[in-house]
Amino acid sequence: MTETYYPKNESEVSDFIFDHFNKNNPIEIAGYGSKKIGRIIQSSQTLSLKDLSGIIEYFPEELYIKVLPGTSLKEIEETLAKKNQFLGFEPNDLGYLYTGRANSGSIGGVVSCNLSGPGRFKHGALRDHVLGFKAVNGSGAKIKSGGTVVKNVTGYDLSKVISGSYGTLCAITEINLKVSPLPEFEETFMISGLNYEDAIQVFKLALDSSLEISGACYFPSENASFLTLNDVKKDTSILGLRVQGPKPSVVERIKQLKKMFSDKLISILDIYQTSIFWREIKNFEGYANEDTYVCKISLPVTNMGSFLRYFNKTNFKYFLDWAGNIAWCSLTSQEDLDQMRIFCLKHDGYLTVLRANDNFRKSEEFLTNSNSSLKILSKKLKESFDPRGILNPNTFTTRLDQVFGPVLNAEEPIR
Amino acid sequence: MSLVLPEPDLNIIDNKKDIVKDIFEITKNVISSDDEIKPYETDGLSVYRQKPIAVVLPETTEEVSKILKYCFDKKIKVVPRGAGTGLSGGSIPLADCILMGMGKFNKILETDFENRCVVAQPCVANLAITTAVQHKDFYYAPDPSSQLACSIGGNVAENSGGVHSLKYGTTTNNLMGVEMVLMDGTILKLGGKHLDSEGYDLLGLVTGSEGLLGVITEVTVRILKKPESVRAVLIGFQSIEDSGNCVADIIAKGIVPAGMEIMDKPLIIATDNFAKAGYPRDVEALLIVELDGTVSEVDTLINKVLDIAKMNKASYNRASNSDEERMRFWKGRKAAFTACGVIAPDYICMDGSIPRNKLSDVLAYISKLSKKYKLDVANCFHAGDGNLHPLIMFDSNDPVEMKKAEDFGADILKYCVKVGGVLSGEHGIGVEKRELMCEMFNDNDIQQQLNIKQAFDEKNLLNPGKVFPILHRCAEGGRMHIHKGKDKFPNLPRF
Repeated sequence: MTETYYPKNESEVSDFIFDHFNKNNPIEIAGYGSKKIGRIIQSSQTLSLKDLSGIIEYFPEELYIKVLPGTSLKEIEETLAKKNQFLGFEPNDLGYLYTGRANSGSIGGVVSCNLSGPGRFKHGALRDHVLGFKAVNGSGAKIKSGGTVVKNVTGYDLSKVISGSYGTLCAITEINLKVSPLPEFEETFMISGLNYEDAIQVFKLALDSSLEISGACYFPSENASFLTLNDVKKDTSILGLRVQGPKPSVVERIKQLKKMFSDKLISILDIYQTSIFWREIKNFEGYANEDTYVCKISLPVTNMGSFLRYFNKTNFKYFLDWAGNIAWCSLTSQEDLDQMRIFCLKHDGYLTVLRANDNFRKSEEFLTNSNSSLKILSKKLKESFDPRGILNPNTFTTRLDQVFGPVLNAEEPIR
Repeated sequence: MSLVLPEPDLNIIDNKKDIVKDIFEITKNVISSDDEIKPYETDGLSVYRQKPIAVVLPETTEEVSKILKYCFDKKIKVVPRGAGTGLSGGSIPLADCILMGMGKFNKILETDFENRCVVAQPCVANLAITTAVQHKDFYYAPDPSSQLACSIGGNVAENSGGVHSLKYGTTTNNLMGVEMVLMDGTILKLGGKHLDSEGYDLLGLVTGSEGLLGVITEVTVRILKKPESVRAVLIGFQSIEDSGNCVADIIAKGIVPAGMEIMDKPLIIATDNFAKAGYPRDVEALLIVELDGTVSEVDTLINKVLDIAKMNKASYNRASNSDEERMRFWKGRKAAFTACGVIAPDYICMDGSIPRNKLSDVLAYISKLSKKYKLDVANCFHAGDGNLHPLIMFDSNDPVEMKKAEDFGADILKYCVKVGGVLSGEHGIGVEKRELMCEMFNDNDIQQQLNIKQAFDEKNLLNPGKVFPILHRCAEGGRMHIHKGKDKFPNLPRF
């Protein structure tokens, strides 16, 4: 039976962790429990940061917001929207993947996963928007790093390491996030009927222009049903380029795109359709209500074509995002998933599992690597925050004495 | 000028001959004669000087690895150095150290337009990256004012910014990967040509770590397509406060300019005298706003900015109508440091970052301090990103004045922290601001950072004596966290 403790302030978090540090007791750190990434953690104690909730300060003209970790992402986004601002990393709502409906959870959870939306290639990742934080490390010490300003070289930049650390380094107790002005206007330029090789070529042409594209995705015809908009065809492939900014500029840039791709089958999504289109992509809504593995494939653009060629006989669905830097895949076979992971490690990339069944999450490795030096250094880094390994133990691996799973040898041929 | 550095190991100094001989076995590029070492005694913070036991200039990653491994085994300290332009003393040698100059790592290895990145060795100059890709209208965004000389590896070490950080970010936001060597000789690759990584973001941690975690041997940076149109507007105000309010309003209206710079009156006069930039001289503050994007976008935004300026009582405005005119607007601002060098024998440049709305408050305080210390000061401010560079003028031949200038600088930085800012926006802590770290951090915070240092460099041999206070613990300020009467980590080593 797991006991859950709900601290009301930073000192209670510190006391709780200090106590468990002394007893050498593992703790699971939780927010709203809305994300099911990583392995299922075996611990008798859960530290829920749910009650550490609220916006501490928000200065729109300073472009930052300071929040407690249990604050819901929804509350933050609504507050920012009132001032025509938003979180530039466009956080994903993973609720659709696990429960079939919106459930974006807490900001602490969002930061812990470092996942970013469609504008990643233009506006940076989540980690680029974390300006500073307060936390309690694995020995119960209250620590802080960074500040509220964008330019800062005062000590190591720990905001980067805690982003995407899945709660394995410390319990975050306060977060300062950079915020951005909402674009005044947006439209999406669509091309249908392209194969993936042509799509990657279109991405290149569009990004080699000065048109400031801020979203670039591609759905092959087999996965076009992912999208629900009536105006999007379901029997052919779809490529979308998002154009944002002041209205006259968007109009002008769309005109230029039409000229550049005049030989293709083109259409335009208006501002309302654009917002729905990219929301569905960002939240993986088309992969809801499926019992499949969902994973992120990150590769250099030049290797993405080889990936799709290599797996063209494999039964899986995918769409490309971030101008071809990433493929979000849905598949049923664990063996195929393993093959894809090895392919990524061999081709200067990686694979992250976003959704898997409980059996997989209990028995399989979540994080593997092709480099043993990196694995050793990561373990030392973990110990520098959490010397007794009590915070979210085994999130990444089944091995009790390790942080990462086994080193996969990228030199070996794919089975 | 005396500088306290970690106690030298006299055995190492006595063994200089043998050490030089051993390193000579790894690479022939070893310098140990006093004359030849001289240029390596200091960096951009030239008030401090110290000779290392030898300078080694490796040519390959393998040589770097072998030298570090040798030094690790023999417990010899190593100080890495790029172009030596750093302003916080990050590459000042220690008396018992090997200075590792990366000057021979000066080649661009790959310009990859397909993946929109450049792979370069660490001592390639920042501007050389743009030069290598500009024939296809690409550029590298971070542009520190020393970009002609400063190295890309040094940019990684200091997380350098420039005038366009608000829109385009600093080094950390434009860096895709590095190859680095740890103190024990381990060669590591972090990141690459893909976006983000799984596992801990060690790339983000290494950026801005001031050469304390590893020696960078290769860098992969993102390049961007040049915007279609770039225009700048000069706006004059009768008070600093009005210029600050104008910046806040521009941002509140949802405009993110490529750059926003404010200069105060002393600097306007100094730079205009020096660079003949054609600045208005009857204003108290001058704001330069640069906008980029498509032609129609820039034109729309210029008009919006001029409207906002009018509402904030601007007494002068002029928008650039050609690239030449735009460059002229910048000419004065970019000559700020040199111009101050002309009006005073010496100056020190401070580097605090503050919340933008505290600008007039901080400038009023600086002006009060200027009277107190009887030293002139001129201010430029990266208003977009809150990075303030007060230039304190003094004469280094007068030791009393020199000490006053240092105290003046420290008082400014303490005040920056007090109003919610930080000690350094882009120059780093180095030796210069080391003892001020306790203004921002308590003992727990520092200890966490030291633990990380130990994870990368267990014997504390790489660039010791930098970044962290060595004269006293932060606890002396009374801020140490004592939990229920006991230190939470009594057994953790401190160095």
